[in-house]
Order: sequence, then structure tokens, then C-alpha cells
Amino acid sequence: MIDLFIGELKRTWLQTLRYPTEVIGGIVILTAVFYGIFFSTQYMAGSANAFGDRLDSLVVGYVTWTLVLYILNDTATSLQLESQTGTLEQVFLSPFGAFKVFLVRAVANLTLRMLLILVVLGLILWITGSQLSFPSLLLLPLLTLILAASGLAFLAGSLALVFKRVQQLLGLFQFVLLFLLATPTEEWTGTARTVAHMLPILPSIGLLRGLMARGETLDWGLWAIALANGLIYFAIGIIVFRWAERKAKRQGTLGGY
Amino acid sequence: MTTDSLPTDSLPTKASAAFALESKDLRKFYGRGKRQFEAVRGVSLSLYPGEVLAFLGPNGAGKTTTIKMIAGLIYPDAGWVRIAGKDPHRQPDALRGVGAVLEGNRNLYWRLTPLENLEYFGVLRKLPRRMARQRGLELLERFELVDKQKEPVRKLSRGMQQKIAIAVALIHEPKLLLLDEPTLGLDVEAGETVKTLIRQVADSGCAILLTTHQLNVAEELSDRVAVIRRGEIVAEKPTQELIQQFSDRSAYRIEVAGTLDVSRKLALEKLGARINNQVIHYAPPAAKHQKGSAQLTSRHSANIYQIFSILDPLPLVDVRQDKADLTDAFLRLVQSDSPVDPKGDRTTTPLPTAPLPTAPSPTASETQQ
Repeated sequence: MIDLFIGELKRTWLQTLRYPTEVIGGIVILTAVFYGIFFSTQYMAGSANAFGDRLDSLVVGYVTWTLVLYILNDTATSLQLESQTGTLEQVFLSPFGAFKVFLVRAVANLTLRMLLILVVLGLILWITGSQLSFPSLLLLPLLTLILAASGLAFLAGSLALVFKRVQQLLGLFQFVLLFLLATPTEEWTGTARTVAHMLPILPSIGLLRGLMARGETLDWGLWAIALANGLIYFAIGIIVFRWAERKAKRQGTLGGY
Repeated sequence: MTTDSLPTDSLPTKASAAFALESKDLRKFYGRGKRQFEAVRGVSLSLYPGEVLAFLGPNGAGKTTTIKMIAGLIYPDAGWVRIAGKDPHRQPDALRGVGAVLEGNRNLYWRLTPLENLEYFGVLRKLPRRMARQRGLELLERFELVDKQKEPVRKLSRGMQQKIAIAVALIHEPKLLLLDEPTLGLDVEAGETVKTLIRQVADSGCAILLTTHQLNVAEELSDRVAVIRRGEIVAEKPTQELIQQFSDRSAYRIEVAGTLDVSRKLALEKLGARINNQVIHYAPPAAKHQKGSAQLTSRHSANIYQIFSILDPLPLVDVRQDKADLTDAFLRLVQSDSPVDPKGDRTTTPLPTAPLPTAPSPTASETQQ
């Protein structure tokens, strides 16, 4: 499995490096979009000093959004692209089984993506003059966030396996995610709070915002909820992906596009 | 992987381990309701190590579906597959014994170099990274691609890409190689190289299941031929035996230099020969031929000698038995509407004396004239 991980890491890295403009373009676009968001907010609400915690929340929210969006699109886009370029069936011929390959592939891609995000985050902090705290406990809600997002990624991948063209649907996800991530659901109470706990990713986002932007300590009870949320969505992702693989093999449409 | 809804036909026997591939009664339906059709109808194929089986059939006959069912990429609705005794649909480890170059697909990452592709796919087939790299280098050397190892695949010619695709399929030293149209779109030289490679791979003990529309390639490479028509195997025999079956060995083709005069033509026609410029075709009448008695054979030989004496002293350019090729056999098999009996002698009716036309048919304007 380690060899597979390194192999996937190397493949993704080499494929990316063959077109360096893509990497540079990615960093520039991500940073520019954030800069745009920052300025439009500033225009409406006055100078940066007046933002306080809200600007930090915005930074966390935006960076998290790009990360989640990347994870979410990654598997589906990779499946769609590879069925078009003709390598998908070769991947399904692996004795590891398709799920393990795509899981390792997702982890490898995520590792490289994290590097890119860190560069963008550094740029954003430098531009806005924001200061975010990075406690090591941050890794815990980050882990649950990645688990839930990966579960959703496998759900999107399952759709790509069975229905092939899912680009429109993935586009829609971006807006839904932006709404979910930008809404401070940790401030909700009662039934709305319970619903927020059950929705994918949200418990992890609330914790991240608290830890990074508001300097709060980790609420272990809430983290347990976030972990359960991540595990459940990840499990759903696995189950549906395996169903989709069987369905595509039964339909004979694995390599189609 | 849960495969509870897969067909649960009989388990492999001990004997099946001797086969590189064994598949039995594979069936596949596509579509639903009134639009449902059976793409593959009870196909059984077996291959021994080192054997090349050409799997032939017209477009849409069910070749690719069958190959993908064997590779574990399409679930059969009935029947089973064993690769070196293992079921690729239930035991993913069975795929360690399979390499495949699939039809029309690029099969490779175009942004990567040949060596990077070989290393990646080696790891994907469960080889340790170092071994994958080592074998990759060996294969590049064997396939004479060492000087291209650092070029991205997209910059290489179609022939080279196909060679790399075959090398990638061999990186984990599979026992079974599935080749779907391996010479499609290649120029003559690249096609020859790929053919040589395929033969070498078979000689090393790897069983090869090959589909192609280039019947000369199939004839040259295969030990055995299976012909599929509308999802059913209509013939399965050793290649030469199948060709033999469609050949009329008592027919001759004689080519002479110079012009045949009228008296010679009349004498030859009287013996039953057909004349086409400088080429004379002689075949004994079909009814008599089928009786096959020794007496008749000697009479036909006498006729041949008589033809030679009529032609004397014209210089002979070529004398040979009229022999069918795989194209003739294939066309007869796929165009026939007779019921299927793949191992039987249904197909023993000899070809007509004249070989099937290989020249292009006349154009509309030629016909009108």
C-alpha cells in the first residue's frame, strides 16, 4: 500500500509538473478570488480593522471551502477524465481493487493539494494582514472534515461511474457548499443545531472556525459528533461507490463516457 | 467486494489450474424490456500457457464484451471465468495473472514518459516499486525503446505507444495477455514489430487472447481460431485445420507466360479448366470430388498432366494448389446462416473453385457500363 501511495503521489506530481502553468494558474486564481471576496466585503463593511473575528472566519471558511471543493471534485473528475482518456479500465484491472486505488489516489492528491493550499493561505494572510492561530488540535477537526468530504467525494465518484457526465452537478455542489460553509451553524440552537450536526462537514467546520478564528479550545463532545459525522459519510461513500462499481460492471459501461 | 448477485456456477475443477484461461458458457444481456438483446450467448473459451487464440468476429459480434468479462471489467449474467484457476470477479488477486491492451483505448498516461508509465502500472499491479522500475527498464530494452524512455508518451508515434501499451500489460509478467485489436491503426513496419513481439511473448509461455479484424495477422500469429457471430461461437479449431477445412486440395492454379491460343483454350475448357488470361484454374467437379475414391483421384491427376501437356512448351510461372486463407474461412463462417456447431464438421463444404474475390468490387459507374 505504501508503494501504491508513493506511486500515486509521483504520478500526480509528475503529471502536474508537465504543465507548470496549471500549478501557477491554480495558485493565482485561488488567491485572486479570495482577494476579490475580501475587497467586496471591505467595501460594504468598512476598513479591515472593523472585521475582527469575522475576517478570520472568512479566511478559514474560504480556505476550507477550496479544500473541500477540491476533495469533492477530485474522484469524480478523475473518473470522468480517465474514462475519456482510456486509462480507467486499466486502473480497474488492478488487483488492489478500484476502491483502494481511488482511496490511495485521493489521499495522495490531497497531500499535494494541501501544499498548494498552504501556499495560498500564506499569500492570503500576507495580503490581508490577518493572523490566525494554528493549535495542533486543529488536526482533529481537519481529519473529520476530510473524512466527511472524502465520503461525499466517493458519492460524487459513484455518480460519475454510473451516469458519466456529472459536471453540472459538481458545479451545483460549489454553491451549496459555499452556503453551508459560510453559515455559522455553530451558533444555531435547538432542532436547527441537530440538523446541522447531521449535515455533512458542518460539525467539523464549526470546530475549525472556533479553534482558528475565535481562539476557542476544542470541545471534545462536539468533536465526537464531528467524528461520527465524518465516519458515517465516509462509510456511505464506500458503500455507494462499491454499488456503483458493480452497477457499471453490470451495465458494461465502465470505460464509456 | 460483494458479488452476491453474480452467477454462482460450478466451481473450478483441478484441471482448470492447468489452463491459463478457462471460461464457460458466458452470457451477457444489454438493455431492458423489448430492447433487451443477448450480446454474448454461451461463449466458452480455454487457453493453455503459450497458446495464441485469435478471437474473430464482425463488429458487434460480442468480442469486446467477452474479453471484458474475462478481464473482470463486465459482469457476466451467466457463466464463469477462471484465470489460472481463480475467478477475477470474486478474487481481485486473479488480476495479477492478467495483462490487457484494450481496443481503441490509449491505455497509457500521455503526460508521463514510457518508464514512468511502466513503473506506475507495475505498482498498480502489486509489484514493489523498485522491481517495477527494474522490469520497466528491461522491457524498454527488449522493445527497443530505451532511447525514448524520457519522452512523454504523447510525443511518441502510434506504433511506439502501442509497443509501450503492450510492455505495460506485461510489466507484472501475467500468465494471460488480452489484446483487443493490437495492430489497429499501425503502419506496416510498426504492425510487423508488434506481431514479432506478440510471438515472442507467446513463446515465453504467456497465453494470448487476440482479437483483430486483420485476418492475415490472426493467421500468422494464432495457434487456434475461434469465430464469434451474433454472440455465439460458430467455429473453434486450430488455425491451419480451419483453413484446411475450407480449402479444396484437389484444385490447382497454373500460371503461364505468353498467350494461350484458341486451340489450347478449347482443349483446356474441355477438361473443365477455367481460364483467366494467363491463369488456369482446374478443379474436379464437386459431386465427383466428394466421393473421394482413389480411382477418381488418379483420373484428376491424369487431367492435370493432360493440362500440362496442352500447355507445353509455354513457360510455367506458377503452379500451386488452390488453398483458402483465413479470410475465406472467416467470410464463409460469418456470412452463413446455418445453425451453430462450433466443433462439428458443418463447415466442411469446400469453397467454390474460384477463390473469393479480394479485389474491390466494381464501382457503380463500372457496373452501368
